[in-house]
Amino acid sequence: MSVLNQELKLSDLHQGDNLSSVVRHITQRDINRYAEASGDFNPIHIDESFAAQTPFGGTVAHGMLILAYVSEMMTAAFGKSWLVGGKLSVRFKAPARPEDILTITGKIDSIEHKENVPYVNCGLESHNQRGETIVIGKATVKLCS
Amino acid sequence: MEQNKSKDSLPITFEQLVAGYEFPPSRYELKLSVIAKYLEAVGKPSKLDSLASEFVPPVAIAAYTMTAVLQSLSLPPGAIHTAQELEFLKLVPVGATINCRGRVARKLNRGKLHLLVIELNALNQDQEEVLSGQATIVVPG
Repeated sequence: MSVLNQELKLSDLHQGDNLSSVVRHITQRDINRYAEASGDFNPIHIDESFAAQTPFGGTVAHGMLILAYVSEMMTAAFGKSWLVGGKLSVRFKAPARPEDILTITGKIDSIEHKENVPYVNCGLESHNQRGETIVIGKATVKLCS
Repeated sequence: MEQNKSKDSLPITFEQLVAGYEFPPSRYELKLSVIAKYLEAVGKPSKLDSLASEFVPPVAIAAYTMTAVLQSLSLPPGAIHTAQELEFLKLVPVGATINCRGRVARKLNRGKLHLLVIELNALNQDQEEVLSGQATIVVPG
């Protein structure tokens, strides 16, 4: 389901609909590039010898990088409504590591109206190629009129 | 990235943090080059370009706000970002300047672990809140 460059119609949205998933292969180069772009140079993300001495045993991706992928899926599904009326609540269940292939999925759990404004509630998940849950959570989108 | 911290200071340690502590705010100029670098880093597909060239991705604002906090904070190795809440309140056009702020909402002991909850928000040039949220970090004891 994608609504970019077209008007989002409530009648097109249904409980149980799956959002178009996002798949990303994360490399150490991606993580380094994200550190440069975000300014977050915590060595747990970019210094392999440092990270090897921590409980993680190696570098891990920034949590906010994974949320960028989640937001990409939500933007593709809900367009501007996500950018200005989006709400996200997630838990990071396991670290995403270099060479992981992440799949971000979402599903419309319910659609409700508050004061005649429609809100779409979605469940979100991210798994790696081993089926481990990386991120789990929910999102709500207030649909723009 | 164009970042201006309101004051230069050594990072505060986790032990020094108390509930209510406010991190030094940071200001970011979200020029097209800054956002382009962010989009390249997150591998944004071209189909999102029409929106991304006009508005700053809200998670980018959240990332800058988190960075502003983390640059002011010295956490022990093994600290983990375990949860994140975000609410996107206003569109931020590319080229805008935002002020990012963080405040310790809670600091709790859970046996051998500590829980740090930080409230985050970002304001535009008109002092309107464009993003709010909350980050939870678990710190080994």
